[in-house]
Amino acid sequence: MTEKPKIGVYVCHCGINISATVDVETVADYALKLPNVEVARTYSYMCSDPGQVLIKKDIKEHGLNRVIVASCSPRMHEPTFRKAIQEAGLNPYYLEMANIREQCSWVHQNIDEGTAKSKKLVAASVAKVRLLEALESKEVDAEPSALVIGAGIAGIQAALDIADAGFKVYLVEKTPSVGGRMAQLDKTFPTLDCSACILTPKMVDCASHPNIELLSYSEVEEIGGYIGNFEVKVRKKARYVDFDKCTGCGDCATECRVKDRFPSEFDQGMGKRSAIYLPFPQAVPAKYTIDPEDCLFLSKGKCGKAPKCAEACRPGAINFDQVDEIVEFKVGAVIVATGFDPFDASRKPEYGYSDYPNVITGMEMERLVSASGPTGGKLKIFTGEGEIEPKEVAFIKCVGSRDESVGNVYCSRVCCMYVAKQAHLLRDKLPDANIRVYYMDVRAFGKGFEEFYDRVRRENVRYIRGNPSEIFKRGDKLVVKVEDTLTATPLEDEVDLVVLGVGLEPRDDMRQTMELLRLSQSPDRFFLEAHPKLRPVDTATEGVFLAGCCQGPKDIPDTVAQAKGAASSAMIPLARGKVMISAQVATVDESTCRGCGFCVNICPYKAIELVTVNRYGHEIEVARVNEALCKGCGSCSAGCLSDSIQPKSFRDRQILPQIAALGVLK
Amino acid sequence: MDLEQLRKTAAEVVARDDVKYLIGWKKGSYGSRVAPAFVEDAASVIELIFSPSCTANLATYLTLVEKTPLPRGQETDKRKVALMAKGCDSRAVVQLLVEKGIHREDVIVIGCPCPGMIDQSLLAGKYGDTEERSEVRWNGKDFTLVRGGDEIEIPRNDVLAEKCRLCRHPNPVISDYLIGEAVKEWDPAEDSGVGELEAKDVDGRGDYWEGQFSRCVRCYSCRNVCPLCYCQDCILDRLNPTWINRAVNFSENTAFNISRAFHLAGRCIECGECERVCPANIPLGKINRKMAREVREKYGFEPGLDPDAEPFQASFKPDDPEDFIL
Amino acid sequence: MSENYEPNIVAFLCNWCSYAGADLAGTSRVQYPANIQVIRVMCSGRVNPLYVMNALQQGADGVLVSGCHPGDCHYMEGNFYARRRLGMLKDLMEFVGVDPRRFHMSWVSASEGNKWKEVVEKTVEDAREAGPFEGFRRRQIDW
Repeated sequence: MTEKPKIGVYVCHCGINISATVDVETVADYALKLPNVEVARTYSYMCSDPGQVLIKKDIKEHGLNRVIVASCSPRMHEPTFRKAIQEAGLNPYYLEMANIREQCSWVHQNIDEGTAKSKKLVAASVAKVRLLEALESKEVDAEPSALVIGAGIAGIQAALDIADAGFKVYLVEKTPSVGGRMAQLDKTFPTLDCSACILTPKMVDCASHPNIELLSYSEVEEIGGYIGNFEVKVRKKARYVDFDKCTGCGDCATECRVKDRFPSEFDQGMGKRSAIYLPFPQAVPAKYTIDPEDCLFLSKGKCGKAPKCAEACRPGAINFDQVDEIVEFKVGAVIVATGFDPFDASRKPEYGYSDYPNVITGMEMERLVSASGPTGGKLKIFTGEGEIEPKEVAFIKCVGSRDESVGNVYCSRVCCMYVAKQAHLLRDKLPDANIRVYYMDVRAFGKGFEEFYDRVRRENVRYIRGNPSEIFKRGDKLVVKVEDTLTATPLEDEVDLVVLGVGLEPRDDMRQTMELLRLSQSPDRFFLEAHPKLRPVDTATEGVFLAGCCQGPKDIPDTVAQAKGAASSAMIPLARGKVMISAQVATVDESTCRGCGFCVNICPYKAIELVTVNRYGHEIEVARVNEALCKGCGSCSAGCLSDSIQPKSFRDRQILPQIAALGVLK
Repeated sequence: MDLEQLRKTAAEVVARDDVKYLIGWKKGSYGSRVAPAFVEDAASVIELIFSPSCTANLATYLTLVEKTPLPRGQETDKRKVALMAKGCDSRAVVQLLVEKGIHREDVIVIGCPCPGMIDQSLLAGKYGDTEERSEVRWNGKDFTLVRGGDEIEIPRNDVLAEKCRLCRHPNPVISDYLIGEAVKEWDPAEDSGVGELEAKDVDGRGDYWEGQFSRCVRCYSCRNVCPLCYCQDCILDRLNPTWINRAVNFSENTAFNISRAFHLAGRCIECGECERVCPANIPLGKINRKMAREVREKYGFEPGLDPDAEPFQASFKPDDPEDFIL
Repeated sequence: MSENYEPNIVAFLCNWCSYAGADLAGTSRVQYPANIQVIRVMCSGRVNPLYVMNALQQGADGVLVSGCHPGDCHYMEGNFYARRRLGMLKDLMEFVGVDPRRFHMSWVSASEGNKWKEVVEKTVEDAREAGPFEGFRRRQIDW
């Protein structure tokens, strides 16, 4: 039998975060009377260095072998205190935390109630900590490679950093080219760098980098395993073009029988492409792709006498027999950089986006002002009657952001500045036009933002505070109905062009990614980070990190910064070459297991198998856990009729006394 | 029932080298009672019978065999066991197969289509419990009690066991040999026992079960007789952790009974043995049947029918009912 | 029912969604009744249904089990198992005379601090209405 438990209880004031509504001294006095408790103390900040020293000193001086910290959530500081007691020579799993802050002092105002509840929580911890067992963490080898999902600027940057550090990277992109949303932008605020000019070199780098395997036009189908050893299955969709033979010359697209008939995704549908296409001139890889739905031969089985693209292609790269290919590999870490969708402006029908061709979105504006865009950078607007160069232009901000009616309460963070930038670009192209911006607030918070906003206003762009209620047509003009809320003047503003400053939304396919990796969503529906402040690139799934707008709206510098952060976090297991696997795994008592296999059925990780053992001469089957695969969820245990399989640290015999302790103290 | 065919089949089966013994029924020592028979050789098959008194579920013997430690070097007996199985017994076999309590290749099922069994206590209540040897027979529609040269007609419903009145599967759901013809299934009676309790309010049910569980003597007969309670080491016997205290009182008795019933939810094949053997006459069948019905109606699952089914308690459907969730 | 009766609620929360949601309620300073004490488990699938019975036996007046929404389980399927097992337990307990207001189950995600508050309020209120649990409570409890 193990030695007699000697427990130290440490009640944290957390400044006044706890002590304001919990009488911590009373809790400590009470704890001292509980069975096996040797020491009970309070301290202003247990997690601080002196707080930890206090615990370590007691462990040595009083020979403590169990520690309870009554403070914040174990989700916050359990690792901190585990490390502390380990440094004092105790097994790190001889720790129990009583959450008297998040789940007590912060949610109950009455000090009597808070104190009484804290006592119960401490008592329950004492009941459990006595029965905890020493656990040893094990290390397994980590695959020195990473998977990056999404090759926008976030994915590209993360992939480049990891590859530059010498690790293999699999960069998976759904569309035929890397580049993402940033490739569609014309200039970037507030510096007015040409977006393509700064992005293209990185795109090229990630295609040519010896450590990066670029899987474009591909989708991740399955991810199994765990940190250090993820098993990934990727579907490389058929391009119907031999990747190695295609030179990217473009003869096929020129000759395509349905040349320039289909809306170009890259040009927001304003430009046209053929059934065989390169998304945009600087696309990487510069390999053509046939859209199987648009292609006559693939969709109808017939394209004249013979497909013209195949005739035109001198290297003979067209291959209509190509099929999807499944690629499987192992990685040690995963970075999710799946980006965002622009808000669908048709969900604000009062702005007439679906009705009037001269109501456009900010994303469309980017393509219109771009020299490589569908109009070659000329501002030609089709009004429904004819093409004009707009004289009166209105921008509307916060379309689909800060708007409960469409379910988006959050600020999209980039619209203020991209609208200012577009107003500036328009001013350049249309020196005589009247440009105004309708806004709720201007949030110019970043480096150089306020200066840029000032500059745009000095360029005779009028900022009018008001949220337009309606846009309708009068003659050949659009009328923006709005109240100028600074002067309380209702306006009916006649314009030629309305640009909707649409916000950023979670991608409509994010559910797939969530299910692939067991990620959660925050209330804004973007991916949830492990901690909003201290672990902003981590997720609840170890070894999976977030970069860019999939975690929440952000601009390019923030995206790049987060991508670099995610890359450096992902590289930790890769560089160590080892990962710790949880010590809190399930274990089987083979002497009571009846071999029914319920746990085998239940385990979502296939971590349990039945093995034949010899019990007193009889061959019997019992369950056995593969500790590297077990995640310690304990679902097996609750389904085990003989209670033979138990998750360590959460055994029935550790939980039942906890229940008793909570029940006894009314 | 064709006893000739039964005995012939049994003789054939037990004569095989790879068969250890056959578990069936023989005449009991008094009244019309019967006893389990373990037949090891063809000569003994003469004692096998199958009558309306064969109410018990012999499938429990498949897992009840104690595996005592073997001397070093001695091989375990891997021979098959043959079992006479009615509809309900065969469901126990299937459920044991699902739970790997036995393997298909280790058991030979002698299927016995069952026209319905009698409840000995009903018989004794109405016709007296005498030591004199007697016999109950099926006579087509009803039963005949043969005692001391007299033949007494007994209306079927006077003595039919409750589990048989409610039975949905009188024919074996699995068998290697079928003795005689399949019987015609009858419409199961309405489960008034469960229905009456459901009609009460929750406090009324609480009072009812308090009256019942208070009388429980915790002899664990219900557990021991159950073909599906076959853990080596029952959690309710354990001290670390202690789920149930040793004390025999309403609190511990209730916890025991809830635990037992919960462990059987989605597994119980409604053979009624627990209730039959209860010395305190606690109507345990009501709880089991209630749970079986919930599982059947809410989850669309009936245990002991398909040996390849996923165990109910170790599976889920994405659209399982969740109307109780806040 | 005694005048000053305050129900004693034991809750089992999964680490990843509901416990995190309860933590979020704290960080957001949402206020709710202090009658509830939480036992953290890694997954709602860990909650042996007999814990619910055991909690009532050992002095709880109400029990709550909360996990991730279906499809969001950190361990993929644990909450589905919990739903099936605890749904059956609820039927069983109700049949043997345990007031259904004493046991609830909920889905609370890591971002639903406010839902956690509502769930606690409902659980406490229901247990309050059901009154002190006498039923099959143990006379003497020690740990």
